[in-house]
Amino acid sequence: MDNEVELKLQALLDGELPTAEANDVTSLLARDRAAAALVEELRHTRAALAGFEAEVRLPESRDFFWSKIERDIRRLERPARQPVASLPLALLRRFLVPASALAVVIGAGVVLLRPSGPSGLTPAAEIETAVADSGAFTYRDYSAGTTLVWVSYPADNEVAQDDEMGTVE
Amino acid sequence: MTVKDYSSADDRALVGASQRGDMLAFEELVARHRDRIYARAYSMMRNEEEAVDLSQEAWVKGWQRLRQFQGESGFGTWMTRIVINLCLDQLRKQKRQRTESIEALDEESGGVERQMPVVAANPTAGLERGELRQRIDRALGQLSYEHRTVLVLHEFEEMEYKEIARTMGCSIGTVMSRLFYARRKLAVLLADLKKQDSV
Repeated sequence: MDNEVELKLQALLDGELPTAEANDVTSLLARDRAAAALVEELRHTRAALAGFEAEVRLPESRDFFWSKIERDIRRLERPARQPVASLPLALLRRFLVPASALAVVIGAGVVLLRPSGPSGLTPAAEIETAVADSGAFTYRDYSAGTTLVWVSYPADNEVAQDDEMGTVE
Repeated sequence: MTVKDYSSADDRALVGASQRGDMLAFEELVARHRDRIYARAYSMMRNEEEAVDLSQEAWVKGWQRLRQFQGESGFGTWMTRIVINLCLDQLRKQKRQRTESIEALDEESGGVERQMPVVAANPTAGLERGELRQRIDRALGQLSYEHRTVLVLHEFEEMEYKEIARTMGCSIGTVMSRLFYARRKLAVLLADLKKQDSV
Protein backbone atom coordinates (compact mmCIF):
# COMPACT_ATOMS: atom_id res chain seq x y z
CA MET A 1 0.00 0.00 0.00
CA ASP A 2 1.52 3.31 -0.91
CA ASN A 3 1.95 6.18 1.51
CA GLU A 4 -0.65 8.38 -0.17
CA VAL A 5 -3.33 5.73 0.33
CA GLU A 6 -2.26 5.28 3.97
CA LEU A 7 -2.63 9.01 4.62
CA LYS A 8 -6.03 9.04 2.91
CA LEU A 9 -7.19 6.20 5.14
CA GLN A 10 -6.12 8.20 8.16
CA ALA A 11 -7.84 11.36 6.84
CA LEU A 12 -11.02 9.32 6.40
CA LEU A 13 -10.79 8.22 10.04
CA ASP A 14 -10.25 11.83 11.15
CA GLY A 15 -13.12 13.15 9.02
CA GLU A 16 -10.75 15.33 7.00
CA LEU A 17 -11.28 13.74 3.57
CA PRO A 18 -13.47 15.54 1.02
CA THR A 19 -16.71 13.68 0.28
CA ALA A 20 -15.75 12.62 -3.25
CA GLU A 21 -12.50 11.05 -2.07
CA ALA A 22 -14.12 9.64 1.05
CA ASN A 23 -16.42 7.51 -1.12
CA ASP A 24 -13.45 6.07 -3.04
CA VAL A 25 -11.49 5.30 0.12
CA THR A 26 -14.53 3.75 1.81
CA SER A 27 -14.99 1.37 -1.11
CA LEU A 28 -11.26 0.54 -0.96
CA LEU A 29 -11.67 -0.33 2.71
CA ALA A 30 -14.48 -2.75 1.89
CA ARG A 31 -12.33 -4.79 -0.48
CA ASP A 32 -8.76 -4.40 0.90
CA ARG A 33 -8.09 -6.33 4.14
CA ALA A 34 -4.69 -4.67 4.71
CA ALA A 35 -6.29 -1.25 4.47
CA ALA A 36 -9.04 -2.30 6.88
CA ALA A 37 -6.43 -3.66 9.35
CA LEU A 38 -4.46 -0.42 9.21
CA VAL A 39 -7.55 1.69 9.88
CA GLU A 40 -8.40 -0.59 12.80
CA GLU A 41 -4.94 -0.06 14.30
CA LEU A 42 -5.23 3.71 13.92
CA ARG A 43 -8.68 3.57 15.54
CA HIS A 44 -7.31 1.61 18.54
CA THR A 45 -4.55 4.17 19.09
CA ARG A 46 -6.99 7.03 18.92
CA ALA A 47 -9.32 5.31 21.38
CA ALA A 48 -6.45 4.65 23.79
CA LEU A 49 -5.59 8.36 23.90
CA ALA A 50 -9.17 9.51 24.45
CA GLY A 51 -9.56 10.94 27.93
CA PHE A 52 -5.93 10.31 28.77
CA GLU A 53 -5.10 13.94 29.43
CA ALA A 54 -8.14 14.70 31.55
CA GLU A 55 -6.50 13.14 34.59
CA VAL A 56 -3.38 15.32 34.60
CA ARG A 57 -3.36 17.79 37.51
CA LEU A 58 -0.99 20.64 38.32
CA PRO A 59 1.17 19.37 41.20
CA GLU A 60 1.03 22.68 43.13
CA SER A 61 -1.60 24.25 45.36
CA ARG A 62 -3.75 27.10 44.10
CA ASP A 63 -2.23 29.65 46.47
CA PHE A 64 1.37 28.69 45.83
CA PHE A 65 1.00 28.63 42.06
CA TRP A 66 -0.82 31.97 42.05
CA SER A 67 1.78 33.56 44.34
CA LYS A 68 4.47 32.82 41.74
CA ILE A 69 2.39 34.22 38.90
CA GLU A 70 1.49 37.33 40.88
CA ARG A 71 5.13 37.92 41.83
CA ASP A 72 6.20 37.67 38.16
CA ILE A 73 3.45 40.00 36.99
CA ARG A 74 4.39 42.64 39.59
CA ARG A 75 8.11 42.26 38.83
CA LEU A 76 7.52 42.74 35.11
CA GLU A 77 5.23 45.71 35.58
CA ARG A 78 7.63 47.58 37.89
CA PRO A 79 10.56 48.25 35.53
CA ALA A 80 8.17 49.45 32.84
CA ARG A 81 7.51 52.62 34.87
CA GLN A 82 11.15 53.40 35.75
CA PRO A 83 12.41 54.42 32.31
CA VAL A 84 9.59 56.97 32.05
CA ALA A 85 10.81 58.74 35.21
CA SER A 86 14.43 58.88 34.05
CA LEU A 87 13.66 59.66 30.43
CA PRO A 88 15.24 63.17 30.35
CA LEU A 89 18.44 61.83 31.89
CA ALA A 90 18.53 58.95 29.46
CA LEU A 91 18.06 61.34 26.53
CA LEU A 92 20.75 63.64 27.90
CA ARG A 93 23.16 60.72 28.20
CA ARG A 94 22.28 59.59 24.74
CA PHE A 95 23.10 62.90 23.10
CA LEU A 96 25.81 64.21 25.43
CA VAL A 97 28.63 61.99 24.19
CA PRO A 98 28.20 62.62 20.44
CA ALA A 99 27.62 66.33 21.08
CA SER A 100 30.87 66.56 23.07
CA ALA A 101 32.81 64.76 20.37
CA LEU A 102 31.37 67.09 17.74
CA ALA A 103 32.35 70.15 19.78
CA VAL A 104 35.95 68.90 20.05
CA VAL A 105 36.16 68.32 16.28
CA ILE A 106 34.74 71.78 15.50
CA GLY A 107 37.11 73.45 18.01
CA ALA A 108 40.13 71.72 16.53
CA GLY A 109 39.02 72.72 13.03
CA VAL A 110 38.67 76.37 14.01
CA VAL A 111 42.16 76.44 15.59
CA LEU A 112 43.83 74.72 12.64
CA LEU A 113 42.05 76.58 9.87
CA ARG A 114 42.02 80.18 11.23
CA PRO A 115 43.71 82.69 8.94
CA SER A 116 47.05 84.26 9.95
CA GLY A 117 47.68 87.99 9.84
CA PRO A 118 46.75 91.02 11.86
CA SER A 119 43.05 90.24 12.14
CA GLY A 120 42.94 89.48 15.81
CA LEU A 121 43.48 85.73 15.34
CA THR A 122 47.19 86.10 14.56
CA PRO A 123 50.12 84.84 16.58
CA ALA A 124 51.40 87.19 19.24
CA ALA A 125 54.62 88.02 17.35
CA GLU A 126 56.57 87.18 14.19
CA ILE A 127 59.95 87.87 12.61
CA GLU A 128 60.48 88.13 8.87
CA THR A 129 63.24 88.92 6.45
CA ALA A 130 61.92 91.20 3.76
CA VAL A 131 64.55 90.68 1.08
CA ALA A 132 67.21 87.99 0.93
CA ASP A 133 70.67 89.23 1.73
CA SER A 134 69.35 92.71 2.38
CA GLY A 135 70.51 92.56 5.98
CA ALA A 136 67.09 93.81 7.22
CA PHE A 137 64.89 91.96 9.78
CA THR A 138 61.42 92.91 10.86
CA TYR A 139 59.93 92.00 14.29
CA ARG A 140 56.21 92.59 14.81
CA ASP A 141 54.52 92.33 18.19
CA TYR A 142 50.75 92.49 17.57
CA SER A 143 49.82 92.54 21.21
CA ALA A 144 51.97 95.61 21.80
CA GLY A 145 51.20 97.12 18.39
CA THR A 146 54.92 97.45 17.71
CA THR A 147 57.09 96.77 14.66
CA LEU A 148 60.90 96.78 14.92
CA VAL A 149 63.16 96.76 11.88
CA TRP A 150 66.88 95.87 12.12
CA VAL A 151 68.96 97.08 9.26
CA SER A 152 72.51 95.73 9.09
CA TYR A 153 74.98 98.00 7.37
CA PRO A 154 77.15 97.28 5.54
CA ALA A 155 75.55 94.21 4.02
CA ASP A 156 76.33 90.55 4.97
CA ASN A 157 79.58 90.37 3.00
CA GLU A 158 80.89 93.59 4.34
CA VAL A 159 82.19 94.37 7.80
CA ALA A 160 79.51 96.08 9.85
CA GLN A 161 80.60 99.15 11.61
CA ASP A 162 77.38 100.37 13.12
CA ASP A 163 73.88 98.96 13.33
CA GLU A 164 71.09 101.32 12.80
CA MET A 165 67.81 100.59 14.40
CA GLY A 166 64.68 102.36 13.36
CA THR A 167 61.29 102.21 14.92
CA VAL A 168 58.17 102.42 12.85
CA GLU A 169 54.96 103.27 14.66
CA MET B 1 -19.28 46.45 35.85
CA THR B 2 -17.51 45.06 38.89
CA VAL B 3 -17.37 41.42 39.94
CA LYS B 4 -18.48 40.86 43.51
CA ASP B 5 -18.45 37.09 43.79
CA TYR B 6 -15.51 35.80 41.79
CA SER B 7 -16.23 32.11 42.28
CA SER B 8 -19.73 32.35 40.80
CA ALA B 9 -18.90 34.79 37.98
CA ASP B 10 -18.55 33.38 34.47
CA ASP B 11 -15.30 33.53 32.50
CA ARG B 12 -16.46 36.45 30.38
CA ALA B 13 -17.11 38.63 33.44
CA LEU B 14 -13.81 37.61 35.00
CA VAL B 15 -11.91 38.37 31.79
CA GLY B 16 -13.58 41.80 31.59
CA ALA B 17 -12.63 42.56 35.19
CA SER B 18 -9.07 41.29 34.61
CA GLN B 19 -8.74 43.53 31.55
CA ARG B 20 -9.51 46.46 33.84
CA GLY B 21 -6.66 45.38 36.10
CA ASP B 22 -8.53 43.28 38.67
CA MET B 23 -5.98 40.68 39.75
CA LEU B 24 -8.42 38.82 41.97
CA ALA B 25 -10.55 38.12 38.91
CA PHE B 26 -7.48 36.87 37.09
CA GLU B 27 -6.57 34.65 40.03
CA GLU B 28 -9.99 33.00 39.73
CA LEU B 29 -9.37 32.39 36.01
CA VAL B 30 -6.01 30.80 36.83
CA ALA B 31 -7.64 28.56 39.43
CA ARG B 32 -10.26 27.41 36.93
CA HIS B 33 -8.01 26.64 33.99
CA ARG B 34 -4.63 25.87 35.54
CA ASP B 35 -4.98 22.06 35.27
CA ARG B 36 -5.86 22.22 31.60
CA ILE B 37 -2.95 24.53 30.81
CA TYR B 38 -0.55 22.40 32.82
CA ALA B 39 -1.83 19.20 31.20
CA ARG B 40 -1.14 20.58 27.74
CA ALA B 41 2.36 21.66 28.75
CA TYR B 42 3.05 18.29 30.37
CA SER B 43 1.84 16.33 27.33
CA MET B 44 4.21 18.25 25.12
CA MET B 45 7.23 18.52 27.41
CA ARG B 46 7.03 15.17 29.27
CA ASN B 47 8.70 16.84 32.23
CA GLU B 48 6.81 17.95 35.33
CA GLU B 49 9.13 20.80 36.31
CA GLU B 50 9.31 22.26 32.81
CA ALA B 51 5.55 21.93 32.44
CA VAL B 52 4.94 23.85 35.69
CA ASP B 53 7.40 26.60 34.67
CA LEU B 54 5.95 26.95 31.17
CA SER B 55 2.37 26.99 32.36
CA GLN B 56 3.32 29.68 34.90
CA GLU B 57 4.99 31.68 32.11
CA ALA B 58 1.86 31.24 29.98
CA TRP B 59 -0.30 32.77 32.71
CA VAL B 60 2.00 35.77 33.03
CA LYS B 61 1.90 36.24 29.25
CA GLY B 62 -1.86 35.81 29.37
CA TRP B 63 -2.12 38.70 31.83
CA GLN B 64 0.14 40.89 29.69
CA ARG B 65 -1.83 40.15 26.50
CA LEU B 66 -5.26 40.21 28.07
CA ARG B 67 -6.30 43.29 26.11
CA GLN B 68 -5.76 41.34 22.87
CA PHE B 69 -8.34 38.74 23.91
CA GLN B 70 -11.54 39.60 22.05
CA GLY B 71 -13.53 36.52 22.99
CA GLU B 72 -13.54 34.80 19.56
CA SER B 73 -12.76 31.56 21.39
CA GLY B 74 -13.18 30.53 25.01
CA PHE B 75 -10.67 31.94 27.47
CA GLY B 76 -9.32 28.44 28.23
CA THR B 77 -8.73 27.79 24.52
CA TRP B 78 -6.98 31.15 24.14
CA MET B 79 -4.72 30.37 27.10
CA THR B 80 -4.02 26.89 25.71
CA ARG B 81 -2.74 28.44 22.48
CA ILE B 82 -0.33 30.57 24.49
CA VAL B 83 1.10 27.61 26.39
CA ILE B 84 1.35 25.51 23.21
CA ASN B 85 3.41 28.23 21.53
CA LEU B 86 5.68 28.53 24.58
CA CYS B 87 6.20 24.75 24.64
CA LEU B 88 6.96 24.67 20.90
CA ASP B 89 9.54 27.44 21.32
CA GLN B 90 11.15 25.56 24.20
CA LEU B 91 11.17 22.22 22.32
CA ARG B 92 12.74 23.86 19.27
CA LYS B 93 15.44 25.38 21.46
CA GLN B 94 16.14 22.01 23.05
CA LYS B 95 16.29 20.35 19.65
CA ARG B 96 18.82 22.87 18.38
CA GLN B 97 20.94 22.27 21.46
CA ARG B 98 21.16 18.51 21.20
CA THR B 99 22.93 16.61 18.47
CA GLU B 100 20.61 14.90 16.10
CA SER B 101 21.10 11.15 16.06
CA ILE B 102 20.71 9.04 12.95
CA GLU B 103 17.82 7.32 14.66
CA ALA B 104 16.03 10.62 15.24
CA LEU B 105 16.44 11.62 11.62
CA ASP B 106 15.08 8.27 10.53
CA GLU B 107 12.14 8.72 12.84
CA GLU B 108 11.44 12.17 11.41
CA SER B 109 10.98 10.69 7.95
CA GLY B 110 8.99 7.80 9.35
CA GLY B 111 11.36 5.27 7.82
CA VAL B 112 11.15 2.68 10.59
CA GLU B 113 7.39 2.80 11.13
CA ARG B 114 6.61 2.26 7.48
CA GLN B 115 8.24 -1.17 7.62
CA MET B 116 6.36 -2.29 10.71
CA PRO B 117 3.52 -4.78 10.37
CA VAL B 118 0.10 -3.62 11.43
CA VAL B 119 -0.72 -4.35 15.08
CA ALA B 120 -3.74 -6.53 14.64
CA ALA B 121 -4.91 -6.92 18.24
CA ASN B 122 -5.85 -3.92 20.35
CA PRO B 123 -2.77 -3.51 22.60
CA THR B 124 -4.77 -1.74 25.29
CA ALA B 125 -7.68 -4.17 25.47
CA GLY B 126 -8.53 -5.34 28.97
CA LEU B 127 -6.22 -2.87 30.70
CA GLU B 128 -7.32 -1.02 33.80
CA ARG B 129 -7.42 2.75 33.49
CA GLY B 130 -4.37 3.33 35.67
CA GLU B 131 -2.33 0.75 33.81
CA LEU B 132 -3.41 2.11 30.44
CA ARG B 133 -2.44 5.58 31.55
CA GLN B 134 1.01 4.42 32.59
CA ARG B 135 1.64 2.68 29.29
CA ILE B 136 0.49 5.59 27.20
CA ASP B 137 2.63 7.89 29.31
CA ARG B 138 5.72 5.78 28.67
CA ALA B 139 4.97 5.39 24.97
CA LEU B 140 4.39 9.13 24.47
CA GLY B 141 7.72 9.79 26.14
CA GLN B 142 9.47 7.74 23.45
CA LEU B 143 8.14 9.75 20.53
CA SER B 144 10.08 12.62 19.01
CA TYR B 145 8.70 16.03 19.97
CA GLU B 146 7.38 16.65 16.44
CA HIS B 147 5.41 13.42 16.43
CA ARG B 148 4.21 13.83 20.00
CA THR B 149 3.13 17.44 19.44
CA VAL B 150 1.07 16.60 16.37
CA LEU B 151 -0.58 13.80 18.30
CA VAL B 152 -1.28 16.03 21.31
CA LEU B 153 -2.71 18.85 19.19
CA HIS B 154 -4.90 16.49 17.21
CA GLU B 155 -6.09 14.09 19.92
CA PHE B 156 -6.19 16.32 23.01
CA GLU B 157 -6.61 19.80 21.58
CA GLU B 158 -8.86 18.49 18.79
CA MET B 159 -7.26 20.73 16.21
CA GLU B 160 -7.80 20.14 12.50
CA TYR B 161 -4.86 19.40 10.21
CA LYS B 162 -4.67 22.95 8.86
CA GLU B 163 -4.74 24.44 12.35
CA ILE B 164 -1.90 22.16 13.48
CA ALA B 165 0.06 23.13 10.37
CA ARG B 166 -0.37 26.82 11.20
CA THR B 167 0.62 26.30 14.83
CA MET B 168 3.70 24.24 14.03
CA GLY B 169 4.73 26.25 10.98
CA CYS B 170 4.68 23.32 8.54
CA SER B 171 2.56 22.02 5.65
CA ILE B 172 -0.67 20.03 6.00
CA GLY B 173 1.10 17.14 4.26
CA THR B 174 3.78 17.14 6.95
CA VAL B 175 1.10 17.17 9.65
CA MET B 176 -0.66 14.17 8.06
CA SER B 177 2.59 12.32 7.70
CA ARG B 178 3.74 13.02 11.27
CA LEU B 179 0.36 12.11 12.71
CA PHE B 180 0.34 8.82 10.80
CA TYR B 181 3.80 7.79 11.96
CA ALA B 182 3.14 8.97 15.51
CA ARG B 183 0.05 6.77 15.70
CA ARG B 184 1.81 3.82 14.12
CA LYS B 185 4.76 4.08 16.45
CA LEU B 186 2.51 4.49 19.46
CA ALA B 187 0.63 1.31 18.47
CA VAL B 188 3.91 -0.57 18.17
CA LEU B 189 5.21 0.78 21.49
CA LEU B 190 1.99 -0.14 23.27
CA ALA B 191 2.12 -3.64 21.78
CA ASP B 192 5.75 -3.99 22.92
CA LEU B 193 4.84 -2.89 26.43
CA LYS B 194 2.05 -5.47 26.47
CA LYS B 195 4.52 -8.19 25.43
CA GLN B 196 7.05 -7.12 28.07
CA ASP B 197 4.42 -7.17 30.80
CA SER B 198 3.14 -10.59 29.82
CA VAL B 199 6.64 -12.19 29.92
